[in-house]
Amino acid sequence: MFIRVCAYQSWDTTSISLTAGCDLFMRYVTRTSALEYEDFNSARSRLIERAEKFGEISSKARRIIAMLSQDSIFYGCTILVHGFSIVVLEVLKTAAQNKKLFRVFCTEGRPDRTGLRLSNELAKLDVPVKLLIDSAVAYTMDEVDMVFVGADGVVESGGIINMMGTFQIALVAHSMNKPVYVAAESYKFARLYPLDQKDMAPALRPIDFGVPIPSKVEVERSARIYTPPQYLTLLFTDLGVLTPSVVSDELIQLYLWS
Amino acid sequence: MEARRASRTVSDPKVRHVGFFTPDPNPHPGRTPLASDAPVSNALSPVMIPPPRQPSDRTAAVPVPETGQRRQTGADQVPVGSYNPSESLLSSSPLPSSPSSRVGLVDGEFSEESGGWLRRSESEKYASSLPDTMVERAPENSASAAPRLESKKSVEVTGKGGKAVLEEQNEVQSSSKPLKEKTTKAERRALQEAQRAAKASGKAEGNKSAAVSQGAASVKPVKQPSQKKDGPPVSVSVVSFDKKGGDRPPEKERKKDVPAPRMQFDDKSRVQKAKKHAVVKQTEARNRVELFRHLPQYEHGTQLPDLESKFFQLDPVHPAIYKVGLQYLAGDISGGNARCIAMLQAFKEAIEDYSTPQEKTLARDLTAKISSYVSFFIECRPLSISMGNAIRFLKTHKVIVRHAITKIRDGDVLLTYGSSCVVEMILLYAHEMGKQFRVVVVDSRPKLEGQALLRRLVAKGLSCAYSHINALSYIMHEVTKVFLGAASVLSNGTVYSRVGTASVAMVANAFHVPVLICCEAYKFHERVQLDSICSNELGDPDAIAKVPGRTDVNYLNNWANKENLQLLNLMYDATPADYISMIVTDYGMIPPTSVPVIVREYRRDHVFL
Repeated sequence: MFIRVCAYQSWDTTSISLTAGCDLFMRYVTRTSALEYEDFNSARSRLIERAEKFGEISSKARRIIAMLSQDSIFYGCTILVHGFSIVVLEVLKTAAQNKKLFRVFCTEGRPDRTGLRLSNELAKLDVPVKLLIDSAVAYTMDEVDMVFVGADGVVESGGIINMMGTFQIALVAHSMNKPVYVAAESYKFARLYPLDQKDMAPALRPIDFGVPIPSKVEVERSARIYTPPQYLTLLFTDLGVLTPSVVSDELIQLYLWS
Repeated sequence: MEARRASRTVSDPKVRHVGFFTPDPNPHPGRTPLASDAPVSNALSPVMIPPPRQPSDRTAAVPVPETGQRRQTGADQVPVGSYNPSESLLSSSPLPSSPSSRVGLVDGEFSEESGGWLRRSESEKYASSLPDTMVERAPENSASAAPRLESKKSVEVTGKGGKAVLEEQNEVQSSSKPLKEKTTKAERRALQEAQRAAKASGKAEGNKSAAVSQGAASVKPVKQPSQKKDGPPVSVSVVSFDKKGGDRPPEKERKKDVPAPRMQFDDKSRVQKAKKHAVVKQTEARNRVELFRHLPQYEHGTQLPDLESKFFQLDPVHPAIYKVGLQYLAGDISGGNARCIAMLQAFKEAIEDYSTPQEKTLARDLTAKISSYVSFFIECRPLSISMGNAIRFLKTHKVIVRHAITKIRDGDVLLTYGSSCVVEMILLYAHEMGKQFRVVVVDSRPKLEGQALLRRLVAKGLSCAYSHINALSYIMHEVTKVFLGAASVLSNGTVYSRVGTASVAMVANAFHVPVLICCEAYKFHERVQLDSICSNELGDPDAIAKVPGRTDVNYLNNWANKENLQLLNLMYDATPADYISMIVTDYGMIPPTSVPVIVREYRRDHVFL
């Protein structure tokens, strides 16, 4: 099983959530007295049981997060969403199902077109959606009440690693005193501590501008950005509603106790 | 000892063979007759007294780790040895299942504890090489019994192994585990095979050594050149932690939900192994109580003359250490505190007399020596908990250095203030690892501590710049990171450090330069301090009134006579947590807001220990 987990990790070395998740998975699964059993079969079945439980926990996590964030979505609010995160989608779905009235601003999310996908989903839920180009965030920030983003990874300082563009939005929101909420499952907590943008492993992806680019022109192809904790207000996780400084506490307890 | 040395045909244990090697063609003639003894001793009934330990056997055999000593041994010997996977594995005879499974688990645990230096799979292989197979593998002993050479890794592992053994808590950073495992796995396997082979042949030589135990305390990797001459070098056993078992169960169980791997003295084979690795020859007590047979039981009184006679052979052991060891053995020092104090004083003398050999680095070499001293002490008498904690404190620097250098990139310009030993270690180690960076040392009156640091850094070849604190905002724009030390870190994240540190941190923050505090966890404190005034230390005011070397600056010569003039020489200041990006401790990298978590979680364990 360890080998399989390593295989998952090496399949996409740039995926922080995958790495973090795998680490936690290994930890969770092996942190059991099952290994004391001399009978291999019983130990094995116990490990498998733990593994399956881990999977259930992850999907339950989303529901817990959706529940916890309902209080912050008030009647008639405007939510700005960046990127396509199924956790955030679950949050909005739950709010829509509870018959709350709110509207959503979606950034386009170039080049992944996340905004287009998200607005599609929201339109199906009959939630009023407005699509913005990425540069129009500061323009509309006055009307926005809160920003909701997901996370690829939550790092030890309490900051998040997310799709390119998140930091800009967080900066604008912070300077205009709008809260920035992050919805992330606890298995995304990673033992990284970037000091600046270059401190992480690079994750490059091709960008299609629609027109051919002359070869002399360089393109910034990084797909991820680190948002420092001082620009984030709250993290909604399955461990509860946390402030960014609590992430490290949780990580210490998760990792250093095994 | 001499006779044995002459007869030994093993290749010098200190020589490290990497890669495949051919077994020594001339096995020691004495081995075959002795081989027959091994089974005999194993056939003793539990009530009978096993033959006296033969520490001198060690050299030929690379010690296969005992349960109790496994941690240390494995870790220390991991980096050395040759790789003969097919030989060792195929020739293993079937072993009783329970010891091997226990062993496997133990090694697994060990690997967790020692920070991932060993993998579980490898430790399983360890298990397969119990001494029962030795007779068949007599010739393979040219293996490097010699564990370590001056390789960085080995010394580090030594230190790490020792630390793992001694620490009462699991301070291992899990994040470092996967990396370490991958990089050294092949090497480690090579070493293990070699060690197993060597051990097998050594054991075949027999357990009797009439004369002497090996000289010096186990490991002294750095001493290899001098020890090459001594036949039966201790080397291999970096360890001799064989008696530790009894003290360690609570810690082990906590680390892993696996039964604690103790040195089971009722298990014949392990006792045999343990005996071979010891420096101090001890005779077993007679008529041991059945219930307590798992604990080390020896007649201590008989060892004193032996050790005294060996004094002159134990040159790698500092005389102060040796003396304290003898006192333990003779029972002159007893009581947790007394033993701990004696041990620390002995370490202090040893460290004072210590000077880094040329080709080694301070951190690793000193750690290796201390590990060897510790193992010597343990042979004389198992460590008390207080001693274990104290030893752990000596070794925290290594972990901090490892974490901190991940943050140093090529092309960095690092600024440091004053002289912090941890920061110095980090910079020197990063330089050794080949990272390209510049250092700016900022200094201030009246202590001018930065000058000593500057001298040491320049001597090692780092490119440095030196400045006084007045020019801080002038140079800050070209700095990429700031590394600072701390006297203590308080619960609200405030860093209490040499006066001037707060200014450096604030200017760095204004320039958006990350500030990293490097501080051992034992410096964390539950107190909260909001400013530098409520608690501080005052230095000598005359120091700031005078400028050394400038007698013309004498305006303040009569300052004491002036009623309305007061001179203030503060020693410390408090840096608020907002200006600090990260604190690097032996528990990893944490934000300043997590200090109380560390204090809460880890101090609790200290109390129990």
